[in-house]
Amino acid sequence: MGTLVVENIVAGYGSGPNILRGLSLTIEAGKTYCIIGPNGAGKSTLVKVIAGLLKPREGRIMYKGEPINGLRADQVLQRGICYVPSDRSLFPDMTVKENLRMGGYILRNSSLVEKRIEQIFIQFPILKEKRSQMAKTLSGGQQQLTSIARAMVLKPELIMLDEPSLGLAPKVVQQIFGTIAILRDQGLTILLVEQNARKGLENADQGVVLDLGMNSFERPAVEVLHDPRIQELYLGKRSRPLQAEAAQ
Amino acid sequence: MIDKTSSEIAVQASRHPHISKTSLWLKKGVPTGALVVLALFPLLQIAFDGYNYWLHMLLYVFLYVIMATSWNLIGGYAGYISLGHNVFFGIGAYLSGMVFVFFQISPFLTAPITGLIAMLGGLLFGLIALRTRGSTFIISTIALVLLVTELLDNWKLTGGTNGLPMSMITLEGQYAKIPYYYYLLVIMVLSIFTSYLIRHSKFGLGLRAISQDEIKTEVAGIPTRRYKILAFGISGLFIGMAGAIWGSYLTYLRPSIFLPVNIGTTIVLMAILGGKGTVSGPAIGAAIMIAVNEFVVAKLGATELNIVVTGLILILVLLYFPEGIVGTLKAKNLLPSFLDWG
Amino acid sequence: MIQIIQVLILGLALGGVYALMSSGMTLIFGVMRIVNLAHAAFIIMAAYISFWLFKVWRVDPIVSMAVTMPVMFLVGVLYYRVLFASRADNPRFTDITVLVTFASALVIEGVLSYLFTGIYRSTSPVYATRPFLIGPFFVPQSQVYATLISIALIVSLWLFLQYTRVGNAIRATMQNRNSAQVVGVNVALVSMLSFGIGLAMAGAAGSLLSFIFTFFPSKHVAWIGMLMSLVVLGGMGSLMGAMLSSFLLAVIASYVSFYWGPTWAPITFYLALFLILLFRPQGLLGKKMDG
Repeated sequence: MGTLVVENIVAGYGSGPNILRGLSLTIEAGKTYCIIGPNGAGKSTLVKVIAGLLKPREGRIMYKGEPINGLRADQVLQRGICYVPSDRSLFPDMTVKENLRMGGYILRNSSLVEKRIEQIFIQFPILKEKRSQMAKTLSGGQQQLTSIARAMVLKPELIMLDEPSLGLAPKVVQQIFGTIAILRDQGLTILLVEQNARKGLENADQGVVLDLGMNSFERPAVEVLHDPRIQELYLGKRSRPLQAEAAQ
Repeated sequence: MIDKTSSEIAVQASRHPHISKTSLWLKKGVPTGALVVLALFPLLQIAFDGYNYWLHMLLYVFLYVIMATSWNLIGGYAGYISLGHNVFFGIGAYLSGMVFVFFQISPFLTAPITGLIAMLGGLLFGLIALRTRGSTFIISTIALVLLVTELLDNWKLTGGTNGLPMSMITLEGQYAKIPYYYYLLVIMVLSIFTSYLIRHSKFGLGLRAISQDEIKTEVAGIPTRRYKILAFGISGLFIGMAGAIWGSYLTYLRPSIFLPVNIGTTIVLMAILGGKGTVSGPAIGAAIMIAVNEFVVAKLGATELNIVVTGLILILVLLYFPEGIVGTLKAKNLLPSFLDWG
Repeated sequence: MIQIIQVLILGLALGGVYALMSSGMTLIFGVMRIVNLAHAAFIIMAAYISFWLFKVWRVDPIVSMAVTMPVMFLVGVLYYRVLFASRADNPRFTDITVLVTFASALVIEGVLSYLFTGIYRSTSPVYATRPFLIGPFFVPQSQVYATLISIALIVSLWLFLQYTRVGNAIRATMQNRNSAQVVGVNVALVSMLSFGIGLAMAGAAGSLLSFIFTFFPSKHVAWIGMLMSLVVLGGMGSLMGAMLSSFLLAVIASYVSFYWGPTWAPITFYLALFLILLFRPQGLLGKKMDG
């Protein structure tokens, strides 16, 4: 089925240093993966490379047995891989509906796009309510929802969400993960990059830990969640000496 | 900040006495030698006549070295590109010229004061314009030139577009250019020396930090705004003085002589071609560009093509050679030590 | 009173052409963040094409838009491809493009002076010298035609941006380049097209002003000052803003010219530019050029 295989990817920005240094990863169809790791580990870089927004310097990416590295972003979208950037970047001076329409930009069939938007409106009534509002007037959570919905217009098989909870209030984060759960139920393959490692892992099948541009390991999410090393490093449970320091 | 400061070089010199003695000798000897040759050159004209063309060309070189070197203080060190630096040139020429026409005081006497007034104008303009950056700043400098040009074009007192003739008492032809030559030579040496001092000072370090990352520089506690404004002002000082001398050299004031935008552009081109942000680069760029222009005029005879050559070289340099001659040689460690002034 | 209205009419009759001149420049900035200081030079280039067609084959300058617009479109595409396409992600891109486009303007000026000399030129179709008389008022026919055609072109551009797929892609790229890429817009292609469209508008403007103004190669310097004031006042990248500021400043300049004499009219624009840059760089309806 639609397995995504990332093989020995080396990548970086401009003439800068390598951020990803020979990363390999296999994403199986229908599962939700949560990628965690410290700042600068290359989590966002990885999804940008897969999305075709950044050309890898070495290595290859196979999707359904075909190489997709070196394809343009629109060609990657054509294959059913969508990317939701971390900054919720919408088109600020377009309405919610126009933003969703732009989500279907690569589909030349505009009546199909309209039909899909109607489906999305049924699924997320709040978007229907706000459909003629300019995107820049939405709240953070609504913007994130619009951003995810914009990707859904293409009915992707694989969706990559880059830090969907970034900068949102806890209650809104809850709602966003609710949305992600809906996507899971629909059988989508999900690649989730999360700074909020606990929340991310709780909502994933597999956990992937990235460090220094290489994947340290990949395990079922529950195991990662309860791994003491991970708890210490990324889940906020500090070991004793640190607590002792804090106490002083 | 990666570059070495002079004190570091001195420390290194003491560590490697053998290598550095010759290189230090070259470093100081060659520029001093060049200066002596330039200072003695007019003696040829005095003794044999027939060198007026060369004096004239050298005057041109001095003028543009002054302008490019001054531009470099704000455009090179701080990275604030001004396309309107010839405004100072015009201000200097008109101020001293008008004082001469109305009060008969020689521009040779008023040039330093004119320079200071130009500097004051620069501080004032900098005070408002340097709140903007990037392309906004560049455009505001063009707006300044256009505005000053229009005002002078319409000012009856200075003859508007027709200009203002200055009936100077001049020496006889054989010696006429020599006083101008020495005056501009002195201003040029002063401007380069000032650039050198700034480059190796804390002030210069701050300016160069601004060109790298202004916000970080400000966070580091450097008064970026004051530094930029000061650099902009100082860059007007020598250009204003040179303008005063050049006005009296031409004995005619007209906006179209001092304020065309292609003069402002040529200054930028010279500094970038030679190497913006270096001490010797703008001077070298100015000398090369004047030689090239003179060659084009002599070979092709058409002044229209002059501007084409300026434009094309600027495009090519910006896109393919942004570090300029000195910057590139330095990066490859090929820069002769006598040109490496920082 | 009649005079005051007359001056207003003359100002409005020029506003449309100014709007057309600035529309291409604001579009190019909006999509690519390129401050195209060669815009006026390209307009003059188109004016010379119209002048040449008029002189050699007596082609009406309005008809010659059929030549200048496609030709300038191609010039724009090529210009963008050769100089800017590969450099869009350079951090100093905007700074560099300001200097590169200005240098290009000088190259165009030099080539035009070489080909056509510095003599003042204009085309002279019959309507160039005839006025329309409405009651006590008059307005030159040439300005009426030019302004009406300009407005028609700007409205077409607006409709194109609002209601076509490519137009939407252009708007999306203007608003958020990264996001446009994410939804699959080929921003490199959109940039190239926008540069072409921007210069096609410049081409149309060149043809139209060939019969309402006299021009010569170095005239672009004065016009770029004027264009910058229109584009910056309107808000860089805002088509509506450029339109608004064009009519506003055209009318103000018209009054300045009436009360203080025509030589002072350019000062209106430069002073406006200077003041806006320093006190409201984001203009009436746009965003700041840089952070």
